[in-house]
Amino acid sequence: MHKFVAIVGSNSDDSTNRKLLQFMKRHFAAQAEIDLVEIKDLPMFNKPENRQVPAAATAIAEKIDQADGVIISTPEYDHSAPAVLMNALEWLSFHIHPFVDKPVMIIGASYGSLGTSRAQAHLRQILDSPELRARIMPSSEFLLGHSLQAFDDEGNLVDQQKLAKLTGLFTDFQTFVDITKELNHANEVNRKEVQNVNWDKL
Amino acid sequence: MKLVGIAGSVADKSYNRLLLKFIANHFSDTVDVEILDIQDVPMFNQSDDQTDSESVQYLSNKIKQADGVIIATPEHNHTITASLKSVIEWLSYKIHPLSGKPVMIVGASYYDQGSSRAQLNLRQILESPGVDAIVMPGNEFLLGEVKDAFDDQHNLKDARTVGFLKETLDKFVKFVKVINTMNGPAADDGWKSEDLESHGKVETTIEGVDMHAADWVEKASAKTHAASGDDYVELDRGVLTVNQLNYFLNSMPMELTYADANNQFIYYNHNADAKDMLASRTPAQAGNPMADCHPKRAIPHVQQVIHMLRTGKTDLFKLPVPGNGPDKYVMHYYQAMHDAKGEYKGINELVLDIMPIVKYYLSHTGQVLAKNPNAKTDAVSGASAKAATPKPDSVSGASADVAPEAPDEVSGASADPEPVTPAQPEVDSVSGASGNDN
Repeated sequence: MHKFVAIVGSNSDDSTNRKLLQFMKRHFAAQAEIDLVEIKDLPMFNKPENRQVPAAATAIAEKIDQADGVIISTPEYDHSAPAVLMNALEWLSFHIHPFVDKPVMIIGASYGSLGTSRAQAHLRQILDSPELRARIMPSSEFLLGHSLQAFDDEGNLVDQQKLAKLTGLFTDFQTFVDITKELNHANEVNRKEVQNVNWDKL
Repeated sequence: MKLVGIAGSVADKSYNRLLLKFIANHFSDTVDVEILDIQDVPMFNQSDDQTDSESVQYLSNKIKQADGVIIATPEHNHTITASLKSVIEWLSYKIHPLSGKPVMIVGASYYDQGSSRAQLNLRQILESPGVDAIVMPGNEFLLGEVKDAFDDQHNLKDARTVGFLKETLDKFVKFVKVINTMNGPAADDGWKSEDLESHGKVETTIEGVDMHAADWVEKASAKTHAASGDDYVELDRGVLTVNQLNYFLNSMPMELTYADANNQFIYYNHNADAKDMLASRTPAQAGNPMADCHPKRAIPHVQQVIHMLRTGKTDLFKLPVPGNGPDKYVMHYYQAMHDAKGEYKGINELVLDIMPIVKYYLSHTGQVLAKNPNAKTDAVSGASAKAATPKPDSVSGASADVAPEAPDEVSGASADPEPVTPAQPEVDSVSGASGNDN
């Protein structure tokens, strides 16, 4: 069974992105083991000269190392990913590189109708940067608009069409994870190169 | 023109902060740039609203009062830093100080890309609804390979880069004017809202005591159980008794007046009788609304000065007050006071005769005053050329019949209604000297 880390891309107490991931964890329990990870307690990234990465960040990095893939659910603030998620990704590319060649699925929930379309594009760009080098599942977007109305009292997705889409994409992601294992010819180069963009040498 | 600069980094060492400092220093004759710190701004969290925190309010107030904003952004992971993004999130959640504000983006990075992707990204973020900033199009200033870009004095080495930066900044100055014109004039008659009768109140206003009473000080003191005599007061930075504080303030070689944000005259350093003062005050006046201390004809001018200080159009308003004869050059300085959030807390009015300082300086450096043939006013007597102007009234020299003009376009900080006399910059440089006339 695949093991996934699911990053809640928000620090809000009543985040619908957290709700969406909690739903996936339950709903896909027979297919995969999903471990929700919170990023809200990481300190503000300040590129410390002593290279000290906070323990909270290395703990997340270890979980990602051991997982087959990562699911990130992002809100959208100001047409982009929220600072708190950007902050986590800064720590997770500072002298540690858990995302290199790691399969990533991006989803997002928003109160409005657009469902984080621009934040997801932004997040793709971030994860594609040389410091992170994740393997993002291409041509797949799960946008959950009007997220406050999207769940019933048990926290289940109400809209069956949305559920069908999410199920399809999640199953595809599992296939993508397996395919990515075959996309291994550049792994070594990637790992080497990421050392060269090590912030320490900057 | 008043600009604020924000470096999008909280790193121990930031080349973007260095770049902003260079802009502030090198182009100080074009723009007045104040660099704002984002170090203390917490991570944005809508479940823990910090909109009212000192660090967020400080940024918001400074941005609101500025004509435009320069943001210098690094690039982390193909985008801007989380610390900068967090600031923008706070400034677009419950408050919107960047709305309609002209913004110029610059950026420095270690690699040759010079923050190209972060700048595009920042543009998109700044233009999103809720932020609504107006970013200057084109004119990208990308400073790549930044580690080699500055010399030991923190100046940009490459003359062409400096030239391009100047060009970009000159365009931004025009852009700011165009955008702020488009936004409509900042209600020219906003000053009329200044209530010199002090009908309103601020959190320090002592209610239930007649402001006009001659014994306002005693009554207000009783009402608030004010510290007095040998009571200790903790100050920034030190601890004094009230007596010590009085010795200290009363020995200042100048007249000090505190008018609070409610336009109430609440303090002066009482070290002379009214007849011996440059701007006379009497003990009974303390506590009065400012309207009580000015003749009616002067009120609009006082309102205009206060409004400029309150809205941050200028932080220091200088006024030479004529009518004291050739041996005195009396200056009134109106310095806006702010709390840590950048909120207006009133005016510190300093009145002093600078002639003793000028004379001291001249005698100790072996120089004499000479008339500048190009000066529009007489270099020595300056303001007294307008001796026909009535002597300023009791409490505030701002009511001298000199209509305050809009603050000077370049520095914003000086708003002299009279041309500055050539002697003044020299005088400023020794302003710490005692007024000893030898």
